[in-house]
Amino acid sequence: MNWNLFVSELVAGTVHGCVYALIALGYSMVYGILKLLNFAHGDVYMVGSFIGFGILTVFGGATALSIPIWLLLVIMFAAAMLGGGLLGVGIERFAYRRLRDAPRIAPLITALGVSFFLENAALLIVGAEYQSFNSFSWNPNSSGVGQLWAIGITLPGNVRLSLAQMIVIAGTVVLMLALTYFVGRTQLGRAMRAVSFDRQAADMMGIDVNRVIAVTFFVGSALAGAAAIFNGIVYQQVWAYMGFQAGLKGFTAAVIGGIGNLPGAVLGGLLLGLAESFTQGYVSTTFSDAMVFVILIAVMIFRPNGLIGKPALAKV
Amino acid sequence: MVKKAITVAVGGACVSAALVLAGVATSAAAKTAAKSPTSVSCKNPIQIGFMGPFTGPAASIGDDQLHWGEYFEQIWNATHKLKINLVQGDTQLNPAIASTVSQSFASNSSIVGVIGPAGSQEVTASAPILKKAGLGFSSGSATNIALTNGSLKGYFFRDVPNDGVQGPTDAAYMQTHLGVSKGSSVMIIDDQESYSTGLAGIVESALKKAGVNVDRESINQKDTDFSSIVAKVTSSTKVVFTPFQLASQTQLLAQQLKAQGKTAVVFASDGSFDSKTFNVPGSYVSFFAPDVTTIKADNAVVSAYNKVFPGGTTPFGAPNYVLAEAWAQAATKACAAGKGTLTRAALRAAFAKTDLSTTILGTPVAFTPNGDVVGAKFHIFKIESGGKYVTVA
Repeated sequence: MNWNLFVSELVAGTVHGCVYALIALGYSMVYGILKLLNFAHGDVYMVGSFIGFGILTVFGGATALSIPIWLLLVIMFAAAMLGGGLLGVGIERFAYRRLRDAPRIAPLITALGVSFFLENAALLIVGAEYQSFNSFSWNPNSSGVGQLWAIGITLPGNVRLSLAQMIVIAGTVVLMLALTYFVGRTQLGRAMRAVSFDRQAADMMGIDVNRVIAVTFFVGSALAGAAAIFNGIVYQQVWAYMGFQAGLKGFTAAVIGGIGNLPGAVLGGLLLGLAESFTQGYVSTTFSDAMVFVILIAVMIFRPNGLIGKPALAKV
Repeated sequence: MVKKAITVAVGGACVSAALVLAGVATSAAAKTAAKSPTSVSCKNPIQIGFMGPFTGPAASIGDDQLHWGEYFEQIWNATHKLKINLVQGDTQLNPAIASTVSQSFASNSSIVGVIGPAGSQEVTASAPILKKAGLGFSSGSATNIALTNGSLKGYFFRDVPNDGVQGPTDAAYMQTHLGVSKGSSVMIIDDQESYSTGLAGIVESALKKAGVNVDRESINQKDTDFSSIVAKVTSSTKVVFTPFQLASQTQLLAQQLKAQGKTAVVFASDGSFDSKTFNVPGSYVSFFAPDVTTIKADNAVVSAYNKVFPGGTTPFGAPNYVLAEAWAQAATKACAAGKGTLTRAALRAAFAKTDLSTTILGTPVAFTPNGDVVGAKFHIFKIESGGKYVTVA
């Protein structure tokens, strides 16, 4: 048994899975409330990446940071989550609100349109060149390796788990716990659950449905912003079309877990990340995307509502 | 019900007829567009198409190539009666977009020759369109060996050596300087594009002939996580050869190898030649052109270029200066022979006879019958600390 390969893929799959899980949560939250597949969600993630890259540039760039790394990360997360959240609210307000009672195809097409708009706006504003967080160069040690990568622990199989990867895993757990608390224990969370169950009834009970939906978009998009920073510090690259691939994987993760189901989104994300990694390691790197969709098809055949999704009730 | 059936049938027939007419019209338009124009007047600036990745992941390469072409255009037009004008076509290093750009050049009757495309897969996609339109085209960076196998004889030219030279050069350097020998291990990773797979195959073949153990892997140009590849690099892997088209991917892989404490040397091909993007010290890069900034005879040209296009240059740029020069010289000869008019065929024929005895590349440029440059060689650069590229071979 090649423990090095096994542990290496386990770590990579978990890190990737965390990013997918955060993106999938946004899809699930919006679908749960509005039964809308927000295909622009991947591009909110892309915008979050560019916000993070912008913050990095403002503070000197990868090779000449003017502030400590911990402060840089805090500012990056805050900016990307706030920026992503506000973008999500804006998209809901101007692109989706008026189509709430329209046939389902209309908001779906609109979502695609918003996605194209964001991609091309990014191309126009920042250009098409790939940018890089280059976290390997952030305050390097004597060997030229940045602190986020030089600091770490060695796992069984002689695999290095770096601080950057630990931040992603720990950060995802913290965000999951925060979201669980928010949805389960706060009044606004209760209102969100009520609206997702029956929007009209919630409205009649005095819940401000527009505000609840706006908050849902804010939270989901903020999570995409966080995912963007996690991706940036581990996988570096930022480009205008990165949202499409990530959004597709996030959407797939949400469907696998059970669209509209928050724990399902997390489960789907982790499963997707691990499936990709282990396929790359043990089968072929070229087959990993195909494997993801094989899993999706299998889940749809045997568990059409997702792994832990519940069938929707329809009044007859 | 019968009435409804008749209505449907008539409607269907009308739609079918409309589709057929549309298809015929499109085909006629395409044939017209692809037809070679008669001639252009040499009194007007000679229009030369310039295809390159001016935006997209390889924009740094495309901009460098364009700037050198434009620099030649400026100095030529300032000193010659016959003017040239470069018409830009952005391909984003994407074969599908390159096809569209090729079609627009082919349809533009004033364009009589083309510089570009930059990438081998783009040349493959563009070649049928440009050839059908009678346009000669020349690349300063497409190195896939199959491009000059004779099928594009008289139409496609390049002033850089092909991978048939790069592959053996790289394999030989690994054996003579990087400790690769019989029984040792090398990992070769391609990015699934024709440029990469072609070159990877040549190097794999050369190394296997020498008794080297080769582990062949493959990634996709969108990949950013190379953990599975990194895990397969062992302490006995001497070199990781990465013929990627995107320097950013090579940089990412090299960084991930370093982060996991791997000691294998990263050896990249010319697609990764970009000191701003790929700059991990201790790595190597091969390239098809010399660094003109280190050639003493080019000091004046480089200095003047830097004044027009400040911000530095890479060896990707200079071959396109030479191509622009070759097209300008060919146009001069063809215009003289055509008594003031120029056709695509005449320009192509004149270009095939290019014989520049001195160029800024430090070597003369002439073409073989299949379109390759005579006598060119690849250069090896080592990345020193600070990301500086130093010529070592």
